[in-house]
Amino acid sequence: MIGHGTFDGTDYKINLPGPDMTATELAELLNKIPAQRQLVVNMTSASGASIATLAKKDRIVIASTKSGTEKNAPVFARYWVDALRDPAADADKNGTVTALEAFRYTERKTASYFEAEKLLATEHALLTDTAKANAVRDPKPDNGQGILAAAFPILRPQTQVASNVTPEKQKMLTRKQDIEAKIDRLKYQKAALSEDEYKQQLTALLLELARTQAEIDR
Amino acid sequence: MRLLLVVALAACAWGAPWDDCRELRYHGKLAEAKACFSKLTSQGDALTLAEGLWGLGQYQEANVAFRAAEKSRANPAVVKTEWGNLFLERYQPGDAAKLFEEAIEVDPQYARAYLGLARLAAIGFDKRAIDLANKALGQDPKLYEAHELLAYLALEDNEPRTASDEAHKALDISENALNGTAVLASIDWLNGKTDTQWKVFAEGYAVGAHFFEINRRYEEAIASYRKALSLDEGLWSARSQLGVNLMRLGRPEEAKQELERCYNAGFRDAETVNSLRLLDTIGDFETVRTTAAEVVLNKKEAALLRPYVETEVQHAMATYDRKYQMKLPGLLRLEVYPNHEDFAVRTIGLPGIGGLLGVTFGMVVAMDSPSARPPGEFNWASTLWHEMSHVYVLTATHHLVPRWFTEGLAVHEEGAAQADWGDRLTPEIVAALQKKQLLSVLQLDRGFVRPQYPTQVLVSYYQAGQICDFIAQKWGDAALLGMIHSYASRKSTAEAIEDNLHENADAFDKEFNTWLEAKTGNTVQHFDEWKRGMKAAYQASEKGNKDEAARQAQAIKKFYPDYVGLDSGYELLADIAVSRGDKAAAVRELEAYRDVGGKNPGTLKKLAHLEQETSNPKQAQATLAKLNNVYPLDADLHRQLTGLLLAAGDANGAIREGKAALALDGDAVESHYELAKALHAAHRPKEAKDQVVLALEAAPDFKPAQQLLLELSQ
Repeated sequence: MIGHGTFDGTDYKINLPGPDMTATELAELLNKIPAQRQLVVNMTSASGASIATLAKKDRIVIASTKSGTEKNAPVFARYWVDALRDPAADADKNGTVTALEAFRYTERKTASYFEAEKLLATEHALLTDTAKANAVRDPKPDNGQGILAAAFPILRPQTQVASNVTPEKQKMLTRKQDIEAKIDRLKYQKAALSEDEYKQQLTALLLELARTQAEIDR
Repeated sequence: MRLLLVVALAACAWGAPWDDCRELRYHGKLAEAKACFSKLTSQGDALTLAEGLWGLGQYQEANVAFRAAEKSRANPAVVKTEWGNLFLERYQPGDAAKLFEEAIEVDPQYARAYLGLARLAAIGFDKRAIDLANKALGQDPKLYEAHELLAYLALEDNEPRTASDEAHKALDISENALNGTAVLASIDWLNGKTDTQWKVFAEGYAVGAHFFEINRRYEEAIASYRKALSLDEGLWSARSQLGVNLMRLGRPEEAKQELERCYNAGFRDAETVNSLRLLDTIGDFETVRTTAAEVVLNKKEAALLRPYVETEVQHAMATYDRKYQMKLPGLLRLEVYPNHEDFAVRTIGLPGIGGLLGVTFGMVVAMDSPSARPPGEFNWASTLWHEMSHVYVLTATHHLVPRWFTEGLAVHEEGAAQADWGDRLTPEIVAALQKKQLLSVLQLDRGFVRPQYPTQVLVSYYQAGQICDFIAQKWGDAALLGMIHSYASRKSTAEAIEDNLHENADAFDKEFNTWLEAKTGNTVQHFDEWKRGMKAAYQASEKGNKDEAARQAQAIKKFYPDYVGLDSGYELLADIAVSRGDKAAAVRELEAYRDVGGKNPGTLKKLAHLEQETSNPKQAQATLAKLNNVYPLDADLHRQLTGLLLAAGDANGAIREGKAALALDGDAVESHYELAKALHAAHRPKEAKDQVVLALEAAPDFKPAQQLLLELSQ
């Protein structure tokens, strides 16, 4: 949602031609959509005031402001649109931009804008995907936020077609997944390993993964 | 420092009992003065008590006594003015101004109240100081302190003859006009005559130090402050200034010692406190030493800025060594501040500092980091060249160069280094040219020190720069070098012009004005027409009438090609061209914008993009390199430049840019990958592999990085 939002201390409303719609009315409409997962990106002014009403299980809610008192026209929307077209938003370079990647990209760009322009930041975007109203600015495993958003693709610029997978190829794909899992495990063990040891093991796994991928692509 | 003058001037008020005490102090008889002030505190009326307490340094108590004196309603104009003087000394100018104004309300003919306001204006280098001092003299022609102030102001304006005349007028009225004596002694000191006939005491040396300071002769200012303090160690404003000047010359430990002494003694004016705060942040900076310079950068941006700053310092030094035919006598120190307020503290108390980006203190340069201001507001590289020119000129002239010449030469050097640098003909300057507000060359210093209209400092920079351009064009660089040598030999501007340009200052002014008119006349003459045309073009554009907007913008383009400020014609025409699908035309417009000195980062990035789209990577590279001089805090810019430089076969340049991107965007996969490619191209496989592994650590499935890893592992 892009536009002007208001908060009178009780209700958040998005400005529309005719009567403005409250967050509650918006939530009711969204609840009627029979989707398993939903992403709501409210980029209006004062949008932070809508989080508590919109937060729901299996719904990711992103607001461009942290509360209803941040009333200036946000710049968040500008960078959200950039996230949909800038390859840099795809942080893990897997060809898919998830809601979490887009949020992080946009949040970073917004903060940089205010810093560079030497302006007091008048918006602080938040995300929640746990049905809880305590949305956060930096979703991560530590605060339990961002898990659903990390698995919610919003852009797949590269076509991913899984057709005619031969048994040999399937074997290689399984091997690839195993290596990826090993890399993830190694990352968790990073603190327990010496720097050299970690680097050596990581390089070996990445090399193995690259070779496997090259074979898959051949 | 100026407060010293105020204190001294207040000393000999109007035959009141405390005059004797102040006179004793000013003559260096400190113990006798103290006894005298003590005696006042046991006398009857509140005003005398207040003066006694003030003289003893018991400021809070003096303030209470002044309040009591005011309540008694005796001599209200005198009480308010004296009370105002206390506030003035204790760095509370707002309260002082209020009291002086109240005194005038009570007694519109009370000369000392006008004098108080004049001193207040003088502190801020406000042009009203002269008018107010003259107003005070209008009320009381015998008020020698007003003549003293006029002498002081004239010397600040680099008009020693007027200063001397005014000082003598003061001395003709009273032999106690010790500030008049201090100004006369200062004239001698500034002229290198150390054995002046004029007898001065502690505060007189502090006055002299002030004049050394505003003439950028900081070492001599420090020596003079030290002399003042050796005669009266309780001159806290002098000690504070000593600390500030030590800080300016890059001696932070000594500076801190002096400033802390002031602070601990209760002298806590804004300069002292802000300077101490700045010194407390030293730990946030790191110092990089090269063979010719030490560069002080904030730790947060040192990795990004260091290679660029070092390269520019070396380049500028090589150029100036050759041009000025000299080597600097020691290490240059360059301090780069990401917080403009920190930089501002370094410039406190100097005239004409509004909007300053850099400042030079002998061998020390302090400047804003590109991160200190909004993107596009200034070109940090040209600022660096500007300041480094000062280092050479100040050194070559033993700090005897007038302000206008060193500033003019610095602006000229910017333009000589790169045609799009230097001062542009901005609308403010065009307006000044229309009103014929330029000063004669002999008066140009005044435009920097005590501006008569809000934009005069800006206009003076432009005029001084144009004068040096004119000299270089007509008489050659040798004439500029000759003028430097003339100033080094203590010649005046009139003499420097006669010696090197072989004409007098009046003839030079006429010739310069003719030259400048030929250069700017078209813009000045059609300025109003241009403004109307620009307005019409943008209005048409907003209404979606692109044809009309383009027609209007094209029609007036020739009137003011130098305009590259906000909403320039170049940008409008480029936007229209893009909307029509004519990218080549857009590139033409924006390259003209870039080459005239356009600095809008968004516009320059757009140009680089268009240049790449129209298959002109070399120009895109040039555009992004210029953007680097304006706002290097953009990771995308460095990533793009990495790619362009790699494609052009400049692996080392690509590595520099790749590292810059990484410094800005610590864990960005793309940055690690681009740097890995550059390192690979530079045949540094081990470092390249490290970078590609870092990219893949965050993004294991990033195929281009996987391919590079395989290549590097063969």
